Amino acid sequence: MGQVKRKELDYERLVLVYSDELFRYSLWLCRDKSMAEDLVQETCLRAWKSLDKLKENSSSKAWLMTILRNEHARQYARYRPEMVDLDLDLVSLKDTDNDTSSEAFALKMALNELADEYKEPLLLQVICGLSCEEIGRVCNITKGAAMTRLFRAKKKLRDVLQAEEG
Amino acid sequence: MKCENVEFEYIAAPDELSIEAKTHIESCAVCQRMVDQQMHFNKKLTDVLNQPVPNNLRHSSREYVQRNKVINWSFPKASLALAASVLLAVGLVRVNLVNDASGFSVDRLVVEHFEHDGARSMKASHVIAPTQLTELGHSFGVQVNLASEVSFAERCPIGDSYGLHMVYQFKGQPVTVIYMPDIQLTTTLPFHYSGLHGWVKPLEKGSIAVIADSDIDLPSEEYAENAVEWI
Repeated sequence: MGQVKRKELDYERLVLVYSDELFRYSLWLCRDKSMAEDLVQETCLRAWKSLDKLKENSSSKAWLMTILRNEHARQYARYRPEMVDLDLDLVSLKDTDNDTSSEAFALKMALNELADEYKEPLLLQVICGLSCEEIGRVCNITKGAAMTRLFRAKKKLRDVLQAEEG
Repeated sequence: MKCENVEFEYIAAPDELSIEAKTHIESCAVCQRMVDQQMHFNKKLTDVLNQPVPNNLRHSSREYVQRNKVINWSFPKASLALAASVLLAVGLVRVNLVNDASGFSVDRLVVEHFEHDGARSMKASHVIAPTQLTELGHSFGVQVNLASEVSFAERCPIGDSYGLHMVYQFKGQPVTVIYMPDIQLTTTLPFHYSGLHGWVKPLEKGSIAVIADSDIDLPSEEYAENAVEWI
């Protein structure tokens, strides 16, 4: 099999296997479906262009998530201050409508209010299934710091959920 | 190990527990309660975070990359028609299982299969005797009415049942046809991916898939109506 063909198959396998996780991670970062799709597309393009840099298949998921995270920071983070207002947040929350219970709504609100430094490790673990070690690499923090942030994020969200249930 | 340390480990990373933490939980009623509560929370959190993914996400991403990269895509022709046949069948099981025709996720499996089973499928391609095709068809309760020479026919697993997948020559090119008696669809689904195109059409009993390389002409959909005839 030729080198180009090999690259095409490697790339397609990556996208096929991880596209759902990429989109969900992107959606919670962008809080907008269209922007999330655009971000996934751009991530795919960048992954294709730099596929040669991926040395081990076992790290491919973390590698893709890193690309998405960096691309999000590059493209969208600077626009966020203009975008963050209550209306947009509510629209975005309505967009993510797989669970319409009051508990789910409260959880979504709490997630949106969570600081990025806590939210990102949480998304990478729950959506992407990354280990604390991998989360640390993606977020440029230590494994211990990743665990601490995960702990605090979940505690905070659990408190919200318990208050809602209570 | 102290309960608070176990709680920290479990909440932070329940799938990465140390042996000490696991051992502690087994013998600590307080921590077992914490685990139960946390499992309930984790379930809720996962449900909320795992939002539905647009059906065309992979297709649109692929098109975007195609438009913006230098190297053009191309896949082996005859081999893929054959290799994809098994995948199409397997992919359709997902359609059936999720009971959502719009969630057509064959593409997810095509590349994987090509990597794992493409070579075997290609080697297995050969001209088969008409009697063999008749016998295979009869085992599905149908008569196969393919006008041209069938070069491959096999009974393949489709979820909890089986499908009849074949490769035959249409205008001198290999086209894959799969009859799936237990896979129900409500509408005809188009299929475009990895240099392949085709469709899956509901039949009176089950459904039928027709798939080939993008450069190869497909038979008309009406063809599917007559491809198999119930005995």
